[in-house]
Amino acid sequence: MKNIVLGRYIPLDSVIHKMDPRAKIIAMITLLVAIFIDTGYIGYGIIAAFILCAVFLAKLKLDFVWKALKPMLFMLCFLLVINVLVLKTGYVLVDIFGFKIYSDAIFQTLYIVIRLVLMIIITTLLTASTKPMDLTIAIEDLLSPFKVIGVPAHDIAMMISIALRFIPTLLEESQRIMKAQESRGVDLQEGSFKEKVMAILSLIVPLFVSSFQRADDLANAMEARGYNPGGKRVRYKQLKFVLRDYIMLLCVFGLVAGLIATKVTGIL
Amino acid sequence: MPIEFKQVSHEYSPNTPFAYKALNEIDLELAEGKITAIVGATGSGKTTIVQHLNALLLPTQGEIVVVDKTIKSTEKPKNLKALRKQVGLVFQFPEYQLFEETILKDVAFGPKNFGVSEEDAQEKAKEALKMVGLDETFYERSPLDLSGGQKRRVAIAGILAMDPQVLVLDEPTAGLDPQGAKQMMGLFEMLNKKHGKTILVVTHDMEHVLDYCDEVVVVERGKIAMHVSKEEFFEDASLMVKANINPPAIIRMRTMLQEKGFAIPNTVLSLEALVKALKKGVA
Repeated sequence: MKNIVLGRYIPLDSVIHKMDPRAKIIAMITLLVAIFIDTGYIGYGIIAAFILCAVFLAKLKLDFVWKALKPMLFMLCFLLVINVLVLKTGYVLVDIFGFKIYSDAIFQTLYIVIRLVLMIIITTLLTASTKPMDLTIAIEDLLSPFKVIGVPAHDIAMMISIALRFIPTLLEESQRIMKAQESRGVDLQEGSFKEKVMAILSLIVPLFVSSFQRADDLANAMEARGYNPGGKRVRYKQLKFVLRDYIMLLCVFGLVAGLIATKVTGIL
Repeated sequence: MPIEFKQVSHEYSPNTPFAYKALNEIDLELAEGKITAIVGATGSGKTTIVQHLNALLLPTQGEIVVVDKTIKSTEKPKNLKALRKQVGLVFQFPEYQLFEETILKDVAFGPKNFGVSEEDAQEKAKEALKMVGLDETFYERSPLDLSGGQKRRVAIAGILAMDPQVLVLDEPTAGLDPQGAKQMMGLFEMLNKKHGKTILVVTHDMEHVLDYCDEVVVVERGKIAMHVSKEEFFEDASLMVKANINPPAIIRMRTMLQEKGFAIPNTVLSLEALVKALKKGVA
């Protein structure tokens, strides 16, 4: 469980790490939108090349990216099976005793997988290169224009930052409880169905109890220090756009604009 | 059957930027039928040692022999259940592992996992609850409604009900009031003296070490710095200084009196002995 890479911050010293988190979030959303523009394999190739450049600039190892993608393999198999069973268009690729696999089944799957893979790499890049705290500050900043229509920007940011803060704690906690129950003879790998249900129950109930306990303690501690969600507050850390942020955003917008233009004009 | 560590190392998350070597080629032999204290600063590797005893952690190097089973770095041990039945491990703050609807059910959970029948498990649970001082009025109550100290007792009863030959306790008295802590340590002493259980206690409380333990193992930065009998450990105050441990009150008193010129032998380890020695000196 220690090997979970999704959403994990990797402390490195790179250009991408130093960028303004707000710029990074805007870039991420723009790129995610771009992925949903159907630009064909060439378009996706260009986006992939762009993203890989960013991964390289962030000094992240490809190994790390691969680990983030690994859970996708299951998804890929699942999609493939569904598509093969359902899609009956295109030309027949293989014919096994009357059971036909059509070309569209394969290509559709490939298409969805490419999109998913790109999306996961982009989001992983964001979370790996941005401290969770910076991320929440950025979210709060980006949401603050919507305060006018009643979006509680600060509350949302606070909730996100608390949730992020407690992920490692809860992981540690669940590991501890798992070990404790294993000492009492719980076997999470083997045993009958009933035993397995019992094993999972013996893990979830204590985890729930302690989460509620923690939430209660945290709320009390915050109140004891005079926390008031509606209060006016200033920040120690001030975010500022600098040249590299503008350059990065310009590249991203340029890329997406180019893709849209080619799509509209029908070049690709 | 002694417990033996042979050249055991343990590294957390190896081959990652977070790799951390918690144990470094330790050799340790723990005698059967004794109460052994494991002491050391936080982060010295005490808990890591303890979790090797029932194969929750496997050594990254070396091997461990526990109750005629060998845990090696190279192969996953078979029949883990048999080992875990023999070696009962009570975690730090074990009250967080309670989950059943009633206390009796929770305590019977362990034995039932080890293949004991429903009735026998209940019988064992009742026995264990009696040992920790909880009577039948508690049987049908929810373990989540108890006070901290009572929860701790239920959790320890959950391990005792498994009737392990070796009982390993990671800071069993942390966060308990002095009275409760004393009762707890008294219980372990009884289990050792009356039922012949081998007991290992990780603790920070030197008073408990002095009052209840037979041997002391000092862990320092992933190494065994010392493994001596309790008498040896407390007779030579310089050993404690070396291990960076604050001696118990009575030992501090002895050292202070010695410094003031009183002729008190180092073998004085209790209040009674100190009084006797002082009387002799005055006379």
